Amino acid sequence: MTPTRSDLPQGDEDLVARAQAGEGEAFGQLVERHQRRVWLVCRQYLGPDEAEAAAQDTLVKAFTKIRAFNQRAAFTTWLTRIAINTCLDQLRRWGREGLKAEDSEAENGAGVVEQVADDGADPEARVLQRQAVARLASCEEKLPARQREIFRLRFYAGMELEEIADALEVHVGTVKTQLHRAVHRLRGELGAYR
Amino acid sequence: MRHLDNHQLATAIAGLELEAGVEEHLTSCMSCRRQVQETRELIARRRELLADDEPDWQRQRHEILLRLPAISAPRRKRSSRWLRPMLAAAAILLVVVGLGLMRRHAPNGGQEAPEVAVEQILADVDAVLDDDTIPGFESIDPGLANLEKMYTNGAS
Repeated sequence: MTPTRSDLPQGDEDLVARAQAGEGEAFGQLVERHQRRVWLVCRQYLGPDEAEAAAQDTLVKAFTKIRAFNQRAAFTTWLTRIAINTCLDQLRRWGREGLKAEDSEAENGAGVVEQVADDGADPEARVLQRQAVARLASCEEKLPARQREIFRLRFYAGMELEEIADALEVHVGTVKTQLHRAVHRLRGELGAYR
Repeated sequence: MRHLDNHQLATAIAGLELEAGVEEHLTSCMSCRRQVQETRELIARRRELLADDEPDWQRQRHEILLRLPAISAPRRKRSSRWLRPMLAAAAILLVVVGLGLMRRHAPNGGQEAPEVAVEQILADVDAVLDDDTIPGFESIDPGLANLEKMYTNGAS
């Protein structure tokens, strides 16, 4: 069954209110709840080391700004926005287009191939599998930035369509359209269409 | 029904809403289902690969908490810089109006006793206003002294 927003952890409101009142313990609990999600979002924009630094920056920023959070959006959406902005700021600072995370992987396609887990399939199948994952990573790079962003947030960060729409401040219809185009294009690039 | 076209396959892989007929076909057609499944598995494999980089969450949490600035209780709203002078003016006005009423209604025509009361009340007000130990009245607005003098002069 597809998880929905109602399946997300409950009780953020209470913890947020306590954190806003200056209770560090409550913020610690919020970090524990959301740090993986924040890292996953950052990882879709940056390499592993940079993603961890950006995730930490995001949570520290959230702490310093928590009194300005008015609870009009869900806490997780607010946090995701900070994470995305932190990553985009970082990318802007580097003054380059695209995702640093994948730059290193794309530059060294063999790196991706070698990292694919060995699941006990026969050697030939494993090689094909590894190559397929490496090609997917490389094809993602060719997607327009918005399509790539939405594709990754949906499939790798595990965000719901509505959450992506809220975080990127776009209509959910736009998210659906971009996601569909991304999948369609990737399949074309991967040679899935005969 | 014919096999799904590329558009419908992309819709199914993306997990978007499918038309009833498409969904039905997907349930019964192994070939189309396999195509959807293969792409989804590929994506899942890549997701696993990305998740391999996950940091040690406890260490990360510890580092974040160390970086947090000192926690302070929310600051109280600063009262207006005009609050104190306005309070002083209001208090004096209240006294003056009160004295006026007392004079008007005094049985002896309001000549002797109210004068004593005025001096006494004004002295009490001055004492309160001069008392910097009262919370919120610690800092003296330099303009206040002149204001008090003005009102005092006006009342005597």
